[in-house]
Amino acid sequence: MRKLLDRYKRSRPYSDYLVFGILLACAPLLVELGVLRFFQLTLIAGVIVYAIVTLGLNLLMGYGGLFSLGTAAFMGLGAYFTAFFTGNLSWGFLPSIIVTVAITAILGMVVGLLASRVEGFFLAMATLAVAEILRQVFIEWTWFTNSFVGARADFPTFFSFTMNRNQTFVLLVVFLVIAMFVTHSIANSYTGRALSAMRGSEAAAAAMGINIFKYRIVAFSISTAYAGLGGALLMHFIRFTEPNAWIFTLSLMLFAAVVIGGVRSVSGSVLGAFVVFGVPPLILQNLPVIGDVNGLAFIFTGVLIIIVAMYYPAGLVYVWHDLKKLVYKARAKWGRKV
Amino acid sequence: MSTPLLKVENLSIAFGGLKAVDQLSFEMNEGEIYGIIGPNGAGKTTAFNCITQFYKPDAGQVLFKTKEDNVVNLVGKKAHHIIELGLVRTFQNVELIVSLSVIENLLVGAHTAFKTSLFSQILKLPKARREERALRDRAEAVLADLGLLHLKDMPALMQPYGIQKRIELGRTLMLDPKLIILDEPAAGLNDVETAALVQTVKDISTRYKCGILLIEHDMNFVSSICERICAISFGKMIAIGTPDEIKAHPAVQEAYLGKDDE
Repeated sequence: MRKLLDRYKRSRPYSDYLVFGILLACAPLLVELGVLRFFQLTLIAGVIVYAIVTLGLNLLMGYGGLFSLGTAAFMGLGAYFTAFFTGNLSWGFLPSIIVTVAITAILGMVVGLLASRVEGFFLAMATLAVAEILRQVFIEWTWFTNSFVGARADFPTFFSFTMNRNQTFVLLVVFLVIAMFVTHSIANSYTGRALSAMRGSEAAAAAMGINIFKYRIVAFSISTAYAGLGGALLMHFIRFTEPNAWIFTLSLMLFAAVVIGGVRSVSGSVLGAFVVFGVPPLILQNLPVIGDVNGLAFIFTGVLIIIVAMYYPAGLVYVWHDLKKLVYKARAKWGRKV
Repeated sequence: MSTPLLKVENLSIAFGGLKAVDQLSFEMNEGEIYGIIGPNGAGKTTAFNCITQFYKPDAGQVLFKTKEDNVVNLVGKKAHHIIELGLVRTFQNVELIVSLSVIENLLVGAHTAFKTSLFSQILKLPKARREERALRDRAEAVLADLGLLHLKDMPALMQPYGIQKRIELGRTLMLDPKLIILDEPAAGLNDVETAALVQTVKDISTRYKCGILLIEHDMNFVSSICERICAISFGKMIAIGTPDEIKAHPAVQEAYLGKDDE
């Protein structure tokens, strides 16, 4: 037992992510037991997908210091591509996901290339423009997207086996845990350090041999690949999409998830996605008064964002650090009794 | 020893009508500690930026003897290619990556030594792990040399200014450079820290067998450390020589103290 615990501690935080994933994968069980309602499972699935996208956006924003307001459109692109591949071309789930992620990654490179000459606010505007172009494509190219009638997809199929809703939910959890692993690995590799250097000091980065142009493109490419993956996964869970699902507001909410959860933090990204996408419909709407008035839950989110910005500008993950500090203080004061 | 480590020839750059560096020429040998001095605004930092290709000089050559003993002209190369040739610099107002720890800042300095693909980094393949381990060991050795090993996992942000300067110095040592360029290393340090810095720079030069080119306007610091000095004023070279020769040189005294009207 002790050996197992040591092994657990040694492989942190990967082991933490794994345990988190296993716990999360039990959610369908709670539905079967009647603890959770059916629609709540769908909401949690949404949070999982948005957490994946937030992780990618955190690599771009938190580490690379680059802004994007076009994330939603890239999610939409992922959704439409996988609908097209599995529907019109009747590919299996895995090849469709792989090709979708590859295509969105390449398109991310193109955006990175376009964005390589603009900074800050102008970069945000440029990505916004790209997103609006893509949304117009979703509306106009009916042969590809079916416009406002909407595109459809099925639950994931592997050869002749088709998953049911609960299995698909578990699959989403698996992808989230993989995304957390990958994000942590990238963040702590030399690529992650190069992104940090690019944000911290472009002059120092260049003097240390970091090609700023290349890493801007790498950052965009990784981030849009996550968005494409997220969109595609959501498509196979919800099984329907239309252009209004991928509007600017969603990009802003993903942006907020990064900031609220915690920049440069893997667990912060997941927490941020939960606070922004999960807390209002799952918790606040079930409370008395707040839940009774239409829309009040979402106003509450707005207030929450302001509070976080004021007291935890580095993100909500730091609440955890403060709690730890309190425990240490209490221990110091009252001895080891606590 | 025959060919110089760095040979700057007729280096010039102008911003609008202002000739910030004007026909600057000097050369330094391998392993030498060489100083460039001049009053504020003399064009020292601009000259450095021209050598390291942060600015594109209008004219002139910067001939540098690389790790492979080839002499190459740095002019026209990209700023991020310079370090691979064996030339690395620091900055006047310390450019550390504050979101990273001390040891990670050193690893940023080893960026060009990392060769594994993004794919093997994500999967943490043995190849990528070995590479990371080897360079981490190297970074720890450098930190130990600078007496900073106990700080390795601390955030770079929270270190005092003197320590930050040492970390930046450590970052330049990751890839066995042939020449380190220090931009006002003593600026903002107190007397004790400056004295320690003199010793550190000398140690580095002998232990890592590299040349050091530094800019300063603190004449005492430069004289206690450099074998030869190039004095510049308004972008032009006014004298080259040993510290004593430079101190006694009338043009240098005039540039520093103003013209004697008597």
